[in-house]
Amino acid sequence: MIFNTNYLRGTVKIRVSGTMPERFINLCVTEEIPLWGITKTDEDLIAWIRLQDFFRIRPLVICSHTKVKVLSRRGLPFIMKRLKQRKMLMVGSCIFFALLYILSSYIWFIEITGLKTIPEQEIRQIAEQYGLRTGNIKNAINVKKIEREIPLHISEVAWVGINFTGTRAVIEVVEKTMPKQEEKLPAHIVAAKDGVITEIIALNGQAMVKIGQTVKKGDTLIKGITPQPAAGVDGQLPKTITPVELVRAKGITTARVWYEGYAEIERKQTTSKQTGSYKMTINMKIGDKELAFNRPQGQPFAEFETVTIYKQLPLWRNSELAVESTITIYREINSQHMEKTFEEAYNEAYAKAIQVVQVTIPETAKILSRNYEVLKTPEENIVRVKVNVETIEDIGQTINISQ
Amino acid sequence: MLRRKGKLQSLAGYLEIPQDIVMDLPRITMLGNKQLLVENHNGIIEYTPSLVRIKLNCGELFIMGEMLILGNLQAEQILVEGVVREVKYDI
Repeated sequence: MIFNTNYLRGTVKIRVSGTMPERFINLCVTEEIPLWGITKTDEDLIAWIRLQDFFRIRPLVICSHTKVKVLSRRGLPFIMKRLKQRKMLMVGSCIFFALLYILSSYIWFIEITGLKTIPEQEIRQIAEQYGLRTGNIKNAINVKKIEREIPLHISEVAWVGINFTGTRAVIEVVEKTMPKQEEKLPAHIVAAKDGVITEIIALNGQAMVKIGQTVKKGDTLIKGITPQPAAGVDGQLPKTITPVELVRAKGITTARVWYEGYAEIERKQTTSKQTGSYKMTINMKIGDKELAFNRPQGQPFAEFETVTIYKQLPLWRNSELAVESTITIYREINSQHMEKTFEEAYNEAYAKAIQVVQVTIPETAKILSRNYEVLKTPEENIVRVKVNVETIEDIGQTINISQ
Repeated sequence: MLRRKGKLQSLAGYLEIPQDIVMDLPRITMLGNKQLLVENHNGIIEYTPSLVRIKLNCGELFIMGEMLILGNLQAEQILVEGVVREVKYDI
């Protein structure tokens, strides 16, 4: 419609009155002036005509002894004319677009992403130093230079990328992953769990236990001292005794560890489910008066839960507008008594027990076997399951020697 | 004159040329009873919402109906919209 040529050039609705309006139409036809939407009301013709043709019909009107009156105007020329009368509207819209353009070429926000350890303030400071601060024009900022300068100033930064999204500058930082600093303080390796040692290799320090030995939590496995040469075959001490020195113990200490899990499941259970139907009561308190809507008669459902929501208008300028409302929702519930078979209850208890154990086993542990047993109880109602898991894992824990 | 017309008509039929072009006849197209397009007319004689009289080379065309509107009026064609009840030739 808007891109219609008729709309762009403007159209006029005219009323032709006179004794013979048909004559006017025929004259228009011969002059090749298109008319459309012609209707007749009370001897008067109403027709649409193009604006450029409207200025040509004057001789035809005189010739056909009719009168022409403009009823309505439509199209771009008329809109333009109206806009010309309202100059300030045009000026205002021009100012609006100009302001929008100008303001959008400034930076209003700076966002820094990807930081883990470096304080944000540090990067912000350097960026500001090189011109990236709020209120600067986007084009005036040398992005390449700032991207180059930040890693030079902060050595932990590996890469910096700056991009603009609208009026927001996003500084993307990638930090270097520094190699872990190895501790050099002398330390023992002690057992973190009870178990039976299956392998012990002291890479640094003195092994204190043998394979097959049962250890308890807290026992020292590898002592953090310089290795002492083993006693000679004949029981004599070696001749050269190196002085005892504290070192950081290192080594492999794997052990067999047992875990135990226990769970029980009741065979008879009552489960309650919400049916979805609910009733709502609204209690309004205005001043001292109370109004209740939808109050249920007696008990709303055979079995139900209630939820109460309490609402109060926020205090505004200390005025005590005492309007409060309490909404009580009654939700219908449906309780069911279920009796599980022994198999079902057992499976459930077993899964639960395994889950309990699984939490305590570290991921690196190798599971050797899983044993389970059903505990006999006088009560038929409860199924009790005990699970034993045997694993092989590193139980060593480095603990610094306190001087 | 009549002989000449008859010859022209047979020639047009022979050459498969549309007869309305050869013989300068009006072409009337109707879309249901909602629209009626008359091409090659000689102007309007009378127009009221219930009757439109169109002048043709060979007489006059009456269009009777209700709420008739001249949708588009040009030198070559007239589009009559509305409910058309009757179309009649008066030669």
